[in-house]
Amino acid sequence: MALTFDRSEPGFWLSAGVHVALLTLALVGISAEALPEAQEGVPVEVITENQFSEITKGERNAEKPLSDAKPRADRKAETFEEREPENAKVDAPAAPTRTADMKVASVDEVPLRINEPDPQEVAKAAKAAQEKAEKAAQEKAEKAAQEKAAAKAAAEARAEAKAKAEAKAAQEKAEAERREQLDKLIERQEAEAAAADAKAKAEAKAKAEKAKAEAKAAQEKAAKAEAEAKAKAEAEARAKAEAERQKEIAEAKAEAEAKAKAEAAAKAKAKALADAKAKADAEAKAKKQAELADKFNAGDIRQMLASKVPSQSTGATGHEVQRTASLGAATGTAQRLSPSLRDALVGMLQQQIERCYSAPPGAAQGVVLPMLDIRLNPNGSLAAEPRIMRGGASAVDQSIAQAALRAVRRCAPYKIPAQYAPYYNDWKAINAEFEFSAA
Amino acid sequence: MNPADAMQAAQAPVADMTLLGLFLQAHFVVKIVMVGLLGASVWCWAIIVDKTLLFRRTKEEMDAFEDAFWSGRSLEELYRSFNDRPATGLAALFVAAMREWKRSFEGSGRQIQSLSQRIDKVLDVTIQREVERLESRLLFLASIGSAGPYIGLFGTVWGIMTAFTSIAASKNTSLAVVAPGIAEALFATAIGLFAAIPAVLAYNKLQASVAKSQSRLEGFADEFSAILSRQIDERLSLAA
Repeated sequence: MALTFDRSEPGFWLSAGVHVALLTLALVGISAEALPEAQEGVPVEVITENQFSEITKGERNAEKPLSDAKPRADRKAETFEEREPENAKVDAPAAPTRTADMKVASVDEVPLRINEPDPQEVAKAAKAAQEKAEKAAQEKAEKAAQEKAAAKAAAEARAEAKAKAEAKAAQEKAEAERREQLDKLIERQEAEAAAADAKAKAEAKAKAEKAKAEAKAAQEKAAKAEAEAKAKAEAEARAKAEAERQKEIAEAKAEAEAKAKAEAAAKAKAKALADAKAKADAEAKAKKQAELADKFNAGDIRQMLASKVPSQSTGATGHEVQRTASLGAATGTAQRLSPSLRDALVGMLQQQIERCYSAPPGAAQGVVLPMLDIRLNPNGSLAAEPRIMRGGASAVDQSIAQAALRAVRRCAPYKIPAQYAPYYNDWKAINAEFEFSAA
Repeated sequence: MNPADAMQAAQAPVADMTLLGLFLQAHFVVKIVMVGLLGASVWCWAIIVDKTLLFRRTKEEMDAFEDAFWSGRSLEELYRSFNDRPATGLAALFVAAMREWKRSFEGSGRQIQSLSQRIDKVLDVTIQREVERLESRLLFLASIGSAGPYIGLFGTVWGIMTAFTSIAASKNTSLAVVAPGIAEALFATAIGLFAAIPAVLAYNKLQASVAKSQSRLEGFADEFSAILSRQIDERLSLAA
């Protein structure tokens, strides 16, 4: 086609002109339109497996990656647990969970258990003390009676009036003593009851105080019982003495009896009063505690948290102390031996072990190849005693496996090429079947 | 922000999303495809315009000739009026048939025994030539109509290949890296479709026009041939 304008065929020029016009329009029109700024929804950074292992090995705040980065360890572990790479995940401890039946009220039980002796034991001790006191009182009474009998035998010769006066004086003295004791007891009880009241009002210390109060009540009881026993014994002794003197002085006896009776009644009354008071106090306390337990109290939560045993952690532990923080390591758990590399390594080990291997006599070739578990250090020495993972049941197989084990031990430092160094995590524990020629 | 992210953000190509930008960023092969398709589009439209004008002109000429032919003027007169200029369409048929007629009578001897056969042949050849003239370059439209999308698709595939290569090179799957490549690749398909769609439509339309013109030519040829053969038979009977 000639590129000259032909009036009968203006198509080319027309078409070219229209196209150019359209293109110009499109260029001007579309370029003027401002496209929205490209914004990325989710920034994605692609890192390699190696970089990932570097990150997971180290710490964020370290300066640079170290070639021999190890996990941070603040002190040396007492029992170092070397996990096999295949079990690393399984051993991860589960997060602690809060049990459903845990209640705020159970806070009270914690100090009770710690500080207070068992109430049964207290009761037992009180009982034992009481028995002891009774026994002692009885003995005393008997002794006193004997003495009195002796005194009486000695004093019978003496004037009756003197004896009578003596008896009276003794009686009076005993009475005064008893009264004093009683007064003291009642005072103590009252003071303690008041203290217990005040304590019941102090809510924060309620538990400990209650325990104390209870213990004290128990003590009081025991003391009271003792006193009672004493009084009883004394009364008995006196009654005996009086019975002896009854023949001589009926009047004095009657008087003493009436007095003793009145005293015993007063004592019993005081004791019943104290008991009732203690009981009422205990009931009121229990009620108040129950109310408290029902109510939500933020202070209780803090209390509960505070009551927990403080953290025992003293920092990370490791095989050896490692304080230098590393930003990561070129070798991480992510690096795995390829199957071909693994085969080559097992072959190399087999070659090295085979030199130390001497076949047990009579055992040409076993049926089951022994599978050995070999733990290696990075330098190729044995990290742990080699073990037989799987050996045959027959005697021949067993002896072959034992011979292989001996060979592994004998050849101990193994030469492992430097190219395997980055994969140490993968070959530090090798479980492989070894086949040795019976040379 | 991660320093790596900041670095990538700085490195990310600022995509020029204008048409010119898309074209200039494209790969060499994609550029060739785009330019070729644009040229094809220009050429297609040139053909469409030319053919549309030609067919309109042809139709007008045919109408005018038929008016003149059936106006009752003598054939000699008509022949003289049309012979001096290059004739197209029906006129070309008429002139070709009349020339053959005149040659048969002008010579020393009259060769009118097989004149009607010769006139038929001449008419057939003239029809062929005329149709060919009308049809010429329409095949280009058909080719662009069918191949244009494929050519554009080729550019697209190539552009997407480039885009994925750039993903592999930058190790970055973000849309900002992929999008410009895919946009320029799709631009190639767009140009292909831009060229192909008018081509297909125009081809169908023009092909129908050609068929109409051809049938009209054939109808006239048959009629004219019938008239001429009647004349020949009359002359033969007079001579005999």
